[in-house]
Amino acid sequence: MVKEKGPNLKVNLGTIELDNPVITCSGTFSSGLEYGKFYDISKLGAVTTKSFSLKPKKGNEPPRTCEVACGLLNSIGLQNDGINSFKKDHLPYIKKLNIRVILSIFGQDIAEFRKIAKEIVDIRQDIIALELNLSCPNVEKGGMAFCTSTDDIKNITHEVKQITKIPVIVKLSPNVGDLSMPAISAREGGADAISLINTVIGAAFDIDSFKPKLGNIQGGLSGPAVKPIAIANVYNLYKENILPIIGMGGIYSWEDAVEFMIAGAKAIGLGSVNFVNYMAGIEILENIKKYLTSKNITDINSIIGRASDKIKR
Amino acid sequence: MKLLDAEIVNNIRIGEGLYKMEFFSPYLCKNFKPGQFINIKCSPEGLFDPFLRRPFSIYDIENNFNVVSVLYLVRGKGTKYLSGLEKGDNINFCGPLGNPLSFENDKKVLLIGGGIGIAPLYLMAKKLSGQGALVYFLCGFKESNFRLLEKDFLRLNADYKIYCEDGMWGEVGIVTDEFASGKNKFEDYKVYCCGPLEMLKKLQAIFSKYNNTVIAILEEKMACGIGVCMGCAVKIKQKGGFAYKKVCSDGPSFNLEEVLFG
Ligand SMILES: Cc1cc2nc3c(=O)[nH]c(=O)nc-3n(C[C@H](O)[C@H](O)[C@H](O)COP(=O)(O)OP(=O)(O)OC[C@H]3O[C@@H](n4cnc5c(N)ncnc54)[C@H](O)[C@@H]3O)c2cc1C
Ligand SMILES: Cc1cc2nc3c(=O)[nH]c(=O)nc-3n(C[C@H](O)[C@H](O)[C@H](O)COP(=O)(O)O)c2cc1C
Ligand code: FES
Repeated sequence: MVKEKGPNLKVNLGTIELDNPVITCSGTFSSGLEYGKFYDISKLGAVTTKSFSLKPKKGNEPPRTCEVACGLLNSIGLQNDGINSFKKDHLPYIKKLNIRVILSIFGQDIAEFRKIAKEIVDIRQDIIALELNLSCPNVEKGGMAFCTSTDDIKNITHEVKQITKIPVIVKLSPNVGDLSMPAISAREGGADAISLINTVIGAAFDIDSFKPKLGNIQGGLSGPAVKPIAIANVYNLYKENILPIIGMGGIYSWEDAVEFMIAGAKAIGLGSVNFVNYMAGIEILENIKKYLTSKNITDINSIIGRASDKIKR
Repeated sequence: MKLLDAEIVNNIRIGEGLYKMEFFSPYLCKNFKPGQFINIKCSPEGLFDPFLRRPFSIYDIENNFNVVSVLYLVRGKGTKYLSGLEKGDNINFCGPLGNPLSFENDKKVLLIGGGIGIAPLYLMAKKLSGQGALVYFLCGFKESNFRLLEKDFLRLNADYKIYCEDGMWGEVGIVTDEFASGKNKFEDYKVYCCGPLEMLKKLQAIFSKYNNTVIAILEEKMACGIGVCMGCAVKIKQKGGFAYKKVCSDGPSFNLEEVLFG
């Protein structure tokens, strides 16, 4: 049998090797089970899980979502059943479905990250990378504080990597202004890659009841509304050449995905699009292939960061 | 559960702001069970405005024609888009979603619907009476814009009673007036209800005094509809407090006495 030879889709994020650059974003894909009913999710570059904490977390007061123009506000509050539930309830089907999984974790402080890391040591071989959620705007104490303290970013990254010996991705929030310092701290801590952006802080109010539309008042904005913000951040960090970037925020189509890669993303994350188009992952992957073929591009790596060509010269 | 396109057979206005859309779907006819719902994309193909899908019940199934219908009220962007679709247009939906109700062994059933909350109950009434159960369908409306549905009710092999606040149809009042006497006329009935929050709260208070099993079909804003985002959380009483459950994948029906309304 002659194997059809398409363009090369393999990309490397530091030591993390992906068969293709299409990843799903944390919190928008659970650990894949539901989407496995729609298509073969083992074809994706990787699946990022919902963020897990050490102990189960109840989440925020409803209402937890609110649709806005071209996007979605959410204040889920990182509801999850704790890291042991990941091991017990999710990992078995992840293995069965042959999913390449990135485990997202978050803690209130360094001590909690350390404890989670210790819980992960024995499943190290089942996970291709850890993503540290240091940036979720929903939790008052956790994420936001870390993202403003570059020392914390460095120390957490370092400790988690030391304990688990798994490649580490640090997820950054756009809510702190310039992302260069946090990205540099991640590199100093030994991170393999950074992912950006997490959701953008937002709020909405009801003009009849005068009440906030989210139980938590503020939430995180995702969807097409945030895409230009994400693209600008990816572009700026790419030029600084700090760490390989997983770009996310408002990707809805294969065209959006390609745009992120041109801005400098080595891999791309699909978030809220999964809520609307359950087949988004596979459709975007197939269409990126078609795009490359139609342009006679043999290696996807050759388009990464092309928007900065002029600046390099 | 499948993600499918379907052709609209009919999409007619049957009252102020109220529409019935029928579409061709052998798959739903075969697989949809009362209590479940579908998630419809309410924007043209390739566009995402409004951004999210919208959840809807199935009002009726015509097995002979492979046609299902959705009864809907125009509320905002999404339902306005639906109301503009015509025969021959396509919709994209995902379903069936959520858990079916198990009513196979019910012998006497009271269905209580408020407003558009009657949508999931009509199909139940039909199935229940079909299996020989004694059905009493209690419906409450603000206005008489649902009036044309009476011909659907007449076709049911079930007793029904209409309360309408504007006095133009059935009895003047609201469904909970049925229990005003303080006497339970439905002692040995299983109860299913769906409707506005205020109605459900009142029913919870009323039935707290009786022994009926009462199942409520809940509504909550949904993002994914398939149990992924944790957006549709409701509080369900548990020993020592409550737990968040997902309306889309743990429900949409719950035991009414266990729901902790905000
Ligand atoms: C399981 C389930 C089954 C449903 N079945 C039906 C049905 O058979 N027929 C029908 O007409 N409606 C049904 N609904 C409600 C329907 O989903 C909303 O009316 C619809 O999403 C409104 O969309 P819109 O874009 O027109 O309005 P929007 O612009 O989104 O909102 C307009 C108004 O509707 C309210 N609303 C929006 N989404 C919901 C929601 N999910 N539940 C309750 N209120 C909402 C908003 O708070 C606002 O006041 C169901 C909801 C659920 C959760
Ligand atoms: C409902 C919802 C839940 C999310 N949960 C998490 C989470 O648990 N951890 C995390 O790092 N990011 C979380 N995110 C952020 C996404 O992973 C992603 O960074 C963001 O949504 C931007 O991508 P998008 O515009 O494609 O959705 C969540 C986003 C949404 C919409
Ligand atoms: S709507 Fe996403 S979990 Fe229910």
